[in-house]
Amino acid sequence: MTLTDAPARPRPSDAGRASPMSLWRLLWLELRRNAMPWMFPLLAALFVFDPFRTAMGYGPFWDLRASVLENKLLPDFVAFVAGVAAWMGSRDSRRHTRDLVDATARPRWTAQLTTWAATTLWVAAGFLCCVAVLYGVTASQATWGGPPWWPVAVSLAELALISALGFAAGTFFPSRFTAPLAALGAFLLCLEGFRNAVGRSSGYALLSPTTSVPDDDTGLFHHYLPDVSIAQLMFLIGLTLVALAILGLPRAADAGPRPRRAAAVIAVAGLAAAGTAIGLTGTARTEAYGTVIPALHDAANDRPIPYTPVCGQAAGMPVCVHPAYRNFLPAMTADLAPVLRQIVSLPGAPARVDQVVVNDLIPSNGAAITGVPPVLRLPVSGTPDETSFGQNAGTFTSYLQSTLVTLFVVGARGFVSMGPPAGTPGQQAVELALLQQAGTAIQTGAPGRQPTKADQVATAARRFAAMPAAARHAWLADHLAALRAGHITLAQLP
Amino acid sequence: MTAAGLQKPEPRAEASRPRGLLSHSGPRLVRLHLASRRVPGALAALALCALVLRAALIWHWSLGNGNGAQQLPVLIEAGAASIIAVTAQSPFGDPERATGRWLPYLRLGTAVGLTAAAFGLLAAGAAAEHLPGGTLDILRNMAGMTGIGLLLAAVIGGALAWTGPMAYMIVTQFGLIGDWTSPWVWPARPPHDAGAALCAGLVFVAGIVAATVRGARAFREV
Amino acid sequence: MNVEIAGLTRHFGRNQAVAGVDLEAGPGVFGLLGPNGAGKTSLLRMMATVLPPSSGKMRLLDRDPGSYGPRRDIRRRLGYLPQNLGYYPSFTVVEFVEYFALLKEMPAARVPAAVAAAVERADLGDKARAKLRTLSGGMLRRVGIAQAIVNNPELLLLDEPTAGLDPEQRVAFRGLLRDLGERATVVVSTHLVEDVGAACTEVALMNAGKIVFRGTPEQLTARGEGHGVGDAPLERGYSAVLTEARS
Repeated sequence: MTLTDAPARPRPSDAGRASPMSLWRLLWLELRRNAMPWMFPLLAALFVFDPFRTAMGYGPFWDLRASVLENKLLPDFVAFVAGVAAWMGSRDSRRHTRDLVDATARPRWTAQLTTWAATTLWVAAGFLCCVAVLYGVTASQATWGGPPWWPVAVSLAELALISALGFAAGTFFPSRFTAPLAALGAFLLCLEGFRNAVGRSSGYALLSPTTSVPDDDTGLFHHYLPDVSIAQLMFLIGLTLVALAILGLPRAADAGPRPRRAAAVIAVAGLAAAGTAIGLTGTARTEAYGTVIPALHDAANDRPIPYTPVCGQAAGMPVCVHPAYRNFLPAMTADLAPVLRQIVSLPGAPARVDQVVVNDLIPSNGAAITGVPPVLRLPVSGTPDETSFGQNAGTFTSYLQSTLVTLFVVGARGFVSMGPPAGTPGQQAVELALLQQAGTAIQTGAPGRQPTKADQVATAARRFAAMPAAARHAWLADHLAALRAGHITLAQLP
Repeated sequence: MTAAGLQKPEPRAEASRPRGLLSHSGPRLVRLHLASRRVPGALAALALCALVLRAALIWHWSLGNGNGAQQLPVLIEAGAASIIAVTAQSPFGDPERATGRWLPYLRLGTAVGLTAAAFGLLAAGAAAEHLPGGTLDILRNMAGMTGIGLLLAAVIGGALAWTGPMAYMIVTQFGLIGDWTSPWVWPARPPHDAGAALCAGLVFVAGIVAATVRGARAFREV
Repeated sequence: MNVEIAGLTRHFGRNQAVAGVDLEAGPGVFGLLGPNGAGKTSLLRMMATVLPPSSGKMRLLDRDPGSYGPRRDIRRRLGYLPQNLGYYPSFTVVEFVEYFALLKEMPAARVPAAVAAAVERADLGDKARAKLRTLSGGMLRRVGIAQAIVNNPELLLLDEPTAGLDPEQRVAFRGLLRDLGERATVVVSTHLVEDVGAACTEVALMNAGKIVFRGTPEQLTARGEGHGVGDAPLERGYSAVLTEARS
C-alpha cells in the first residue's frame, strides 16, 4: 500500500461543525476572561469626571445632552478600547498558544473573531451603562422629547471600528508597544486626525462623529436630521468589516478557501459601504435646521415639530415658551418683568413674548419685535442653571434683558451679543438706564483717569436712570422715535 | 567508565571581586538588559511619536487656539510616556530578581535614559516649528506622565501601565479647555510655572524610584 | 496506518531541521528519542499540521494534510501537546480544556462530559476550578495533556509530556499512554528513556534530522550491550546508536 492508494477513512458521524451552541460557548468563555472589564473603573471615573459633568452643565434637553456621547464619551473611551483590543489581539503570541490554536479544527479567524466579539461586547456594555446613566438623569429633568438613539448607534459603531483596528494591530504586530501606540493613534484619529486629514471645511469631515456642540434647542422645534448619522454608520460599519476581514485573508490565517473567500467578500462589502458613505457625504449641504444628504433625506423631517407653548405672565404680558423650557418659565418671566414694566404701553413695546428657535443660519430667524400688536420673538440660548461655557443664572438674565432692551431701543434684529450695548451713545445710555432699573449695575471707570466715551455714556445713563419712573416713561413716550432714529445725543438726555 | 580515573577537583580559586558596570562586561550587560526590555523598539516607537508631532505642527493639526493648541502635543507626550512605561516590563520574572546587585541600576538607567531620549526625539520633532509651550513644556509634561506610568507599572505591571499616562492625558485635556490652575495638572500650566514643574518632578522621581527599587509587577490576569 | 510519512524534510533558512524522515505508525505508543536539536519537535509540529513540510509526503489518518478540508478533518481527530505549553492565566482548568474542545469542533452537547473525563484522567479533578496561573509547572503540564486528549483523538502527539511531573504522576501517565495506545496512535517525544521503556511499543531515535534507529525498546537495549555510556540499559542503547550515527 502506498501513500496515494489508501482509501480515505470514512468520517465519524458526529464530526463536529460550527454549531451555534459551540460558537456561543466559545463566546461565553471569551466574555468571562476578557481584559476589557479591567478598564471599567477607570472609564467610569472618566465618565463621571468628563462627559457626565459636562452634560449636567447643559440644559435638560435631549439632543444637547446626547452630544456629549460623541464629543466627550467617545474620545474618553477610544484610547482604552484600542489599547485593550490590541492587547487581546496579541494574546496568542504573548501566551505562546499559537501552535495549540493552529492545531485545532476551527480556523484561527473564527477564534480571533470570537475574541474580538467578546472584547467589543464588553466595550458596548460599558458604553451603554454610561448612556443609561446619562439618559436616566436627563429623563428625570427633561420636560419634552425623548432620548435620541442616533448618537448612541454612531458611537457604538465607532467603538466597534476602533476595537477592530486595535485588535488587528495587536494580531499582526504583537509587540508590547502596540497597545500604547494603538491607544495614541485611536485618540488622535477620533479627536482630530480625521478632520484635519480631509480639511475642516470639507464635507467629508462630516464622517467623523465628533462634532461641535449643538444649539440648546436642537431637536425641539425641528426634527433631528439623521442623514449624516446614517452616512456615518455606513462608513464606520464598512471600515469595521474591512478590518475584521483582513484578519482572515492572509495565508498564515490558515482559514481555508471558503473562509478566505468569505473574508474577501466581507472586505469588498465593507469597502463598498464605506465608499458609498464617502460619496453620499460629498453631496451633503447645510440647510436651515441641519445637514441634508439628498439620497438619505426624509422630507417628513423638514416639517416643524408641533407643540403647544406653555405661557406665564410678566408685567401683565404673556410670555410663552416651548414645553421643554417649562421649568424655566418662572425664571424667564421674573427676568423679563422688570424691563417690560418700564416700557409697557410705549410705542413698539411688545404685547407678548414668544420663544423662537435659535438658528442663525436663517436671516429671518433671530430676535425681533415684529407684528401688530408687537410680539417679541425671543430665541433662548441657555437656561438659568446651565453652567457650560461659563454660563450661569446671571448670564441668562443678562441675555434676556439685554436682548429685550436692545431690540426695543435700537430696533435691531438678529442675535444680540453679550457685551457693551449696541447703537449710538444716546441709545446706549438709555439701554443701560433701563437695565440698571431692572437690576444690572452700570459699570464705572476707575476714578481719576481721563473719562472715555464709555464713561460719558455711563454718566448719562445714571442721570437718566435717576429720573422718577413716571418722568422717564413720559420722556420715552415723547422721544422714542427720535431715539430710535439715532437723533438723540447724550447731552439731550435728561 | 569507573571511578578510578576520577580525581579530587582543584581547590576553588578565591572568588574575584565583583566587577562594576564600567568593566569590560558592563557594556554587554547593559546591552543585553536594553534588548530584554525592547529598548530599540521603544526608540523606534518614540521616533514615530516625534514624526507625528512634526506632522501635526507642519500641517497645523491644532485643536484650537490658546490652551487648545496644546492638546495635541500633550497627547503625543502621553504616548511617549506610555511607551516608556511598558518598557519596564520584564520578560524574565523571578530568575532576574534573584540575581546580584546590578538590576536596580539597570532599571534606573533604562528609565532615565529613555525619558531623556524621548525628550530629545520630541524636541527634534518640534525643532524649527512653533510648538505651543516650547521644549520646556515637553520635558515637564513627559517626565511627569512617565512617572505616572512607572508608578502604575510597579502596581499593575508594565504591560498595562500605558493606561496611566493615557488617563492622565484625558484629564489634562479637560484642564486645558477649562484653564485649570492646579499644579497637579501640569500640562495646563504655563511653561515656567514652578509649582507645576515641582509636581511633575516629584511624580517623575517617585516613578523612577518605584521602577528602580521594585520594577514592574508581573501581570498575569490575561 | 494512522501515520505515513515519506521523505519528509523541513528547513529553516539554512538549518535543515528534518532531513528526510520515513515513518509509518499504527495504533500503539511510539516513542521519539533524540538529542537536543535532532528535529523531534519540528517533526511533531509537522505531524500536528501547524508547520508545513518543505518537501516529502505525509498522510495522517488516511488524509493528506496539504489540503484545507482534509487538514481540518485531521485536526478534529488530533490531540497535540507542544513542548512549550502556552496558556491563558485567567482561565480555569475546565475553561481551558473546554476552550480547546470547542476549537476542535467537538459537538457542543458532548463537550461538558468530555472535559470532565479529560480532567479526571489527567488527575486534576480537585483543581478543576482553579485558575491556571495558580498551578505549578507539573499541573500545567497535566492541563496540557487534558486538552490534548479531550476529543479522544485517534492521533495524539505529545512533546515532552512528563516534564515537571513527579515520579508518581509519571507512572500514572505511562499507564494512561498505554490505555490510549490501544485505540490511537500516540507519538511521544521525550528525553526520558524510562518513559519510552515503560510505555512505548516502538521507538525511533533521531539525530541531525534523520531517523537513525527504528525498533522496539528491547532492540534498542540490545544495541547497547557491551557498548555505550549510560546508567540504564536503554540509555546505553541510546548512546551506542548515537555514537554509531555520528561516526
